[in-house]
Amino acid sequence: MDRLYVIGRDEVPQRITLGAGESLRATFVFPSRVDSALDLTVDLTGPGAELDLAGIFVCADAETVDIRMNVRHLAGGCKSNQLFRGVADGRSNVRFDGLVYVAPDAQKTEAHQSCNSLLLNEGARVQTDPQLEIYADDVICSHGAAIGYLSADEMFYMRSRGIPEEEARRLQIMSFLSPVLSRLPESAYSLIGFQR
Amino acid sequence: MDEKLVDITSKQYKEGFVTDVEQEYVPKGLSEQIIRQISAIKQEPQWLLEFRLDAFRKWQKMTPPTWGHLKLPEIDFQDIIYYAAPKKDADRPKEIDPKLQETFDKLGIPISEREVLAGVKSKVAVDAVFDSVSVTTTFRKALAEKGIIFCSFSEAVREHPELVRKYLATVVPSGDNFYAALNSAVFSDGSFCYIPKGVKCPMDLSSYFRINASGTGQFERTLIVADEGSQVSYMEGCTAPMRDEHQLHAAVVEIVVEAGADVRYSTVQNWYPGDDQGRGGILNLVTKRGICKGEGSHLSWTQVETGSAITWKYPSTILKGDNSASEFYSVALTNNYQQADTGTKMIHLGRNTKSRIISKGISAGHSQNSYRGLVRMNPGAAGARNYSQCDSLLIGSLCGAHTFPVIQNSCPKAIVEHEATTSKISEDQLFYCNQRGIPPEEAVGLIVNGYAKEVLQRLPMEFAIEAQKLLSVSLEGSIG
Repeated sequence: MDRLYVIGRDEVPQRITLGAGESLRATFVFPSRVDSALDLTVDLTGPGAELDLAGIFVCADAETVDIRMNVRHLAGGCKSNQLFRGVADGRSNVRFDGLVYVAPDAQKTEAHQSCNSLLLNEGARVQTDPQLEIYADDVICSHGAAIGYLSADEMFYMRSRGIPEEEARRLQIMSFLSPVLSRLPESAYSLIGFQR
Repeated sequence: MDEKLVDITSKQYKEGFVTDVEQEYVPKGLSEQIIRQISAIKQEPQWLLEFRLDAFRKWQKMTPPTWGHLKLPEIDFQDIIYYAAPKKDADRPKEIDPKLQETFDKLGIPISEREVLAGVKSKVAVDAVFDSVSVTTTFRKALAEKGIIFCSFSEAVREHPELVRKYLATVVPSGDNFYAALNSAVFSDGSFCYIPKGVKCPMDLSSYFRINASGTGQFERTLIVADEGSQVSYMEGCTAPMRDEHQLHAAVVEIVVEAGADVRYSTVQNWYPGDDQGRGGILNLVTKRGICKGEGSHLSWTQVETGSAITWKYPSTILKGDNSASEFYSVALTNNYQQADTGTKMIHLGRNTKSRIISKGISAGHSQNSYRGLVRMNPGAAGARNYSQCDSLLIGSLCGAHTFPVIQNSCPKAIVEHEATTSKISEDQLFYCNQRGIPPEEAVGLIVNGYAKEVLQRLPMEFAIEAQKLLSVSLEGSIG
């Protein structure tokens, strides 16, 4: 199943259960210039269940984005992958709180989570709390989180080749967001302030 | 292979003996009266008594923190003896009780300068603390020649009250948290160290903490001040007897690093961890914090945590001075029913401040091992950067490994990066060793040491060797 959820427009589930052999590919879009929140629990309850989840936010103003993810590996042999990319500009406030839980005996679990953000303005703020709670030993789990800013080197590369500052900035942001952006239909680009 | 992961033997905690010395105690329990009594025994000035009482009043209004990923037994604070000291022999007031000497010899702590000078032990100045008092501090004279003050906290209060008063509780305020407040009210002894401007400390300084008496708690307080451009490497070690009941250890360590100074603080924590059924062991609830106060200052924490039934410890750095830097290297190993919730906080206030966190957790048996950390970039921290890496290794299917980092960034010119992985010792690795004639237990020790190498190599030499042995010993019985 491949689903696209736009926060505030679509009805978003609070709890998803994936049984044996079930899989879900879901992408969440947090539209620009409005406050949005996601509080989602995904339970993987049968062997072979697979979750591929991604989220994207581009905060331009004073909005708040509040993401709470709870992925629970209750049975062994499941896979989950979470990928979040976002940008915080203006006076926006982003909070990501993501837990990966691996129950006792949920062996052969593979769980990955990554949440990277760009901070573009003095007044913006990002807090990321990626968490792993693991009670089984035969697992491969990882999480990564980074909060940074636009690279001056990349900027120089583009500017020195005649790309205007604004455009260079936009390209860099797009390239940073591309792992999630590429999952969206073009019709959804405008929701996060990109036109094509 | 999994079937083989059964506990077959219990490890022997070789530091678990009790020294039979006559001790004096204050009565059990905690009240203003007890605090006044401790202060009187130590002949403290009025300002320090008031500091204690003020902390006690704050503590009375506080409740113990519950956010740790720990199952903490109920602590009855009225059932603890807050001060215990070996009686001094009136005939030999200048010398150490031979029994204490023997104890520290047995623990391998060089408290006689003669041995060290003869080159038997490496050159380290030691402040040895036995229950609530410091029994000796070596090389004081040699250090004093360079202007370095290294003595017990009580002596520092008597001999350098102006320094103690200037820096005490400037990094960890008395009301900082429940256990820090308790420590501020009842702290007994610990080490004090002052390195004057531009002085490079000629030898490593070290404190060794020993809990001996039963029914007591240890509440030591350490204060390290490195003045401008100075340099010091400080080590801390600790052990306790094996007992069925828990004993509380609530310490506070404060480190002030002035401009251009460099402090390296290393700990090998080997408190009694409890038996293989989870009975007894030390409750290690400590607050350690340093401040990189001046421009270009540097503070590095290295810890190897193998002991204690419960560890609740977050050595932290406030990076206030521009261009200051801090590092945190940690190996935390838990076995049997041990629980550890440990990590660090890096608070970036100054410009171009840098920090690096490397944490290696190892859980075996029924233990729970958590990394908990905070990296905060304040709005003024332009050019600041942090990199954190937290790895967990699981040995056996009954233990848990957890990672709870908090990353806050409110500076668009700062970068924070965090990575964490969880894995187990692979069968391939074990096979490789076994095939070459290395038995499983040794192989696990080898693999774990390799896994922790990045941290171990940060330790001063003596310590690194001890830590390597400890890791192997602590894992004994975790694999069959």
